[in-house]
Amino acid sequence: MLKEASDGQLTALFDAVAASEQVQVEPVGRWFEAFLKRRSRNVSASFQELEEEEELSEEEEDEELQLEEYPMLKTLDPKDWKNQDHYAVLGLARVRYKATQKQIKAAHKAMVLKHHPDKRKAAGEQIVEGDNDYFTCITKAMEMLSDPVKRRAFDSVDPTFDNMVPSKAEGKENFFEVFAPVFERNSRWSVKKHVPSLGSKDASFEEVDHFYSFWYNFDSWREFSYLDEEEKEKAECRDERRWIEKQNRASRAQRKKEEMNRIRTLVDTAYNCDPRIKKFKEEEKARKESEKKAKAEARKREQEEKERVRQEEEKAARMLKEKEEELARQAAQQAKKEKEVQKKAIKKERQKLRTTCKTHSYFTDNEADGVRMMEEVEKLCDRLELSSLQTLNEALASGNKEQSKAALEKQVQEVNNQMQKEKEAEMQAQQAVRGAEQTSAGGGGGANNRGWNEEDLQLLIKAVNLFPAGTNARWEVIASYMNQHSSSGVKRTAKDVINKAKTLQKLDPHQKDEINRKAFEKFKKEHSVVPQTVDNAAPSERFDAVGAESNSSPWTTEEQKLLEQALKTFPVNTPERWEKISEAVPGRSKKDCMKRYKELVEMIKAKKAAQEQVAAKNKK
Amino acid sequence: MAAIGVHFGYTCACVAVFKDGRADVVANDAGDRVTPAVVAYRDTEQIVGIAAKQGRIRNATNTVVKVKQILGRCYDDPDAQAHREESKCIVVNKSDLPRYEIDTGETTKYVSPEDVAKLIFHKMKETAQSALGSDVKDAVITVPFEFGEMQKNALRQAAESAGFDVLRLIHEPSAALLAYGIGQDSPLGKSHVLVYKLGGTSLSVTVLEVNSGMYRVLATQTDHRTGGESFTHELAQHLAAEFKKTFKLDVTGNPRAMLKLMNSADVAKHTLSTLGSANCFVDSLYDGMDFECNVSRARFELICSSLFNKSIQPIKGLLEQVNLSSSDINKVVLCGGSARIPKLQQMIRDLFPDVELLNSIPPDEVIPVGAAMQAGILVGKDSLALGEDSITVDCCASDITAKEVDDSGAEVFTVLFPSGTPLPARRQHTLQGPGSLSSVSLELYQAQRPIAQIVLRDLEPKDELHDIDTVLTMKRDGSLHVTCTEQSSGRSEAVTIQTAAAAS
Repeated sequence: MLKEASDGQLTALFDAVAASEQVQVEPVGRWFEAFLKRRSRNVSASFQELEEEEELSEEEEDEELQLEEYPMLKTLDPKDWKNQDHYAVLGLARVRYKATQKQIKAAHKAMVLKHHPDKRKAAGEQIVEGDNDYFTCITKAMEMLSDPVKRRAFDSVDPTFDNMVPSKAEGKENFFEVFAPVFERNSRWSVKKHVPSLGSKDASFEEVDHFYSFWYNFDSWREFSYLDEEEKEKAECRDERRWIEKQNRASRAQRKKEEMNRIRTLVDTAYNCDPRIKKFKEEEKARKESEKKAKAEARKREQEEKERVRQEEEKAARMLKEKEEELARQAAQQAKKEKEVQKKAIKKERQKLRTTCKTHSYFTDNEADGVRMMEEVEKLCDRLELSSLQTLNEALASGNKEQSKAALEKQVQEVNNQMQKEKEAEMQAQQAVRGAEQTSAGGGGGANNRGWNEEDLQLLIKAVNLFPAGTNARWEVIASYMNQHSSSGVKRTAKDVINKAKTLQKLDPHQKDEINRKAFEKFKKEHSVVPQTVDNAAPSERFDAVGAESNSSPWTTEEQKLLEQALKTFPVNTPERWEKISEAVPGRSKKDCMKRYKELVEMIKAKKAAQEQVAAKNKK
Repeated sequence: MAAIGVHFGYTCACVAVFKDGRADVVANDAGDRVTPAVVAYRDTEQIVGIAAKQGRIRNATNTVVKVKQILGRCYDDPDAQAHREESKCIVVNKSDLPRYEIDTGETTKYVSPEDVAKLIFHKMKETAQSALGSDVKDAVITVPFEFGEMQKNALRQAAESAGFDVLRLIHEPSAALLAYGIGQDSPLGKSHVLVYKLGGTSLSVTVLEVNSGMYRVLATQTDHRTGGESFTHELAQHLAAEFKKTFKLDVTGNPRAMLKLMNSADVAKHTLSTLGSANCFVDSLYDGMDFECNVSRARFELICSSLFNKSIQPIKGLLEQVNLSSSDINKVVLCGGSARIPKLQQMIRDLFPDVELLNSIPPDEVIPVGAAMQAGILVGKDSLALGEDSITVDCCASDITAKEVDDSGAEVFTVLFPSGTPLPARRQHTLQGPGSLSSVSLELYQAQRPIAQIVLRDLEPKDELHDIDTVLTMKRDGSLHVTCTEQSSGRSEAVTIQTAAAAS
């Protein structure tokens, strides 16, 4: 029970309320979920209250609902119920699809109270008997609208619904005025609630995007079973029913497709006409362009930067180089100067030495000695370094004549020794180079490092002499000759042979001699060894062997010439030809000549064979 | 859409299915509605449930019990150590985490507690599937209030590896409240509920405040030493004493005999909850001798009297802790299998003489049913991720009261807006004033301080009482808007009271 307010009391605040505090709650129960949802949606008012308010407002509408009498009601033909407007029949023509079940029920009740045949009979009206009374239409309307499935079917083909899709030309001019009502109208078919509205001119990109994505994915509940031409219930047998069903399904699908196309066309048209889309596209384009530009600029800047850096680097490098060059030049100049100074000093020292020597008349009385000494001194002047010259001069200057002479002679001797050493070193170096050349020539001659031993070299020299320049395919012939006669078993090509021959030509003649000498030594060694074994092992050796031994030396060119001459002067049919020939060649026995001849014949044969072989090869 | 709630306890696990708006516990393949949380490892297989529990006599070292005690704990954790000492199955340290050493014939396996829990969850899933006839994934799992983050994660992982899609982990006491639908019908009003849970090995008492359909734990107390097993143990000791009396033989030193006695005592204890006396019979308990003994309920209560006292003890302490008297508690919810014991119920009833004792749902099924209900609420919705901030709620700090006079003329305070109401909220009251008056004043108080007064003048005096609609709306920051409207004349007054922070 509240108290009475005293006189002066007024509505007033005394104190602030305590601030809210945070507590942890258990995450269970439906109210927690509701709370969470509310908070995530950022709705400040209580969820439940909102619901209550909604209900309240609905009830209020109920009360306000005014039924409109359908003027044509009494003229309706109950048989043609399919074509009647059920909402109009119940007096809900204005509310139509928005009517709640409650409203429909109330409307039906009102209509029944007014139009029931019993009522009308009581009022003295004429009633048509049976189902033909117009009241049947009311019943039918109620039947259609109270069943959600049937109502949906009727709503889908609502005769008052405008299926029109505005044309492009219309939409271009005043887009929002034309399309807003169209979308509003069509949004009733959406399965989802909260259909996004078309929005205004300044709608954000997200809003517009959401709007179009919603409409492009429009999920419609509109269906066309109400327009079914055949009624399933009328069928007499199962087969017929099936057939009807099939027919109906096909026509429904067809209509549904048309409907989807209609929506699609609508959205497409709107999309194409939408000034906002155009704007966004342009913006996007501009953005891309600017991005591109920015990118290009950035690239350009980067390039410039790179160029600049490169140039700087180059400059720095150049400077550095210049500096270095400058330094080098200075150093060179310095060195030159020093050299000149040194030269001068040396000259001076030399002059000094000469003069000292001259003053001492070269430490000798003898004229010849003096000349020799002069030469030596000149040599010293050439050879000695500045420092040693200086020491020498000092020694010469400080000591008496004898000492000076000794020092000078010592110096001369040293220089001579040194020169000797240098000469030897040079010789050695030359030898080494020669050796290297030899090995390199050998290495170059054969791919698998075919060495040229003395025998081969000898053979080569022989072959080169045998086949003089001008012989057909000379080097090939030499090579095959070598291959045939070589005991080393190494195969040589023409190239190898040319190389070796060239190196041999290059070699100084004394080396050639050396080779020849070596070959001779070897030959001698071989031949001296063999007779020894013969001596030891075979005492019953033929006597001729002695003769052979005496001629073991090779045929000289002169002997060869003599032999050839003899062979020509004494033809084959000459009696005792070989005796005569041997007489013609001094120092050679009959046997030697025969042997030599045989060798020559063989040699010629081999030569011919080799030539043939090469010719055959060439032919191939 | 079906969803399930799983209660994974220390000794038992239980699963309830939410289907067609109802939550029901489903029986497992053995026909039991509660499955012992026992896993036995054999050479080639793992056994979960009653078979494992019964086989424990022969296979104690390879049978894991009370895995929840060690789940999600480090090896050095004192609770884990306590479990290790108690467990017959060897617990070893593997890189600071406890592992069960399972001897499977030739090789020794090391099994993590999570794997054991996974097997139990898998069994629960199978049970639910066989009842539903289809695959079910979405589950709400209960955890004790004192579980830490690590343990919760371990439990969640175990459940997920068993194939569950864990919708949410909820606390056992709030699941119990949900099972009885406390505060779920209307989001108005405020009440206090005490949840008394006596499980297999633990006792926990929790006081919750229910305000606007939301639950809030005020205080909780857990005793891991008291539980149904303590009663069984006490009874088994008694039986051993009886055996000694008859056969002059001490069986307490024989573990197998004691296990047999425990099993027998367990059965007897269950019987005594419904019957006046129970017969214990153990074949070949010791040395081939059979044992038979009759225990009456009175005897049982006498044996366990100290335990009963110990079980009741925490309630008083808890009420003191939250500054509530036993009359402030509006409801008491019993859960846990041992809450069936008639003596215990009697003792609680004595403590709360005017309070409704809720035990219509079998106490060991209360929690899974609540979990299943929560699963039913959550399933099929894209639930938001629950962070720490999503479970903190702005609340009214203290009661908003109105000073009124009662019939005798004494001043009384009527609570118009109770403390702890989640904000924002609106409360509507119809206050009355004597019809003879032409003006009424409504004085609002908060914590004994006057905060505002609203005066309605120029009322038409009439015979009946003045009905004054008072609507209080409090925003999240705590600022209050009050509107008073006299019903017959429509005269109204409104004030907005800022919070101290906003006013300054």
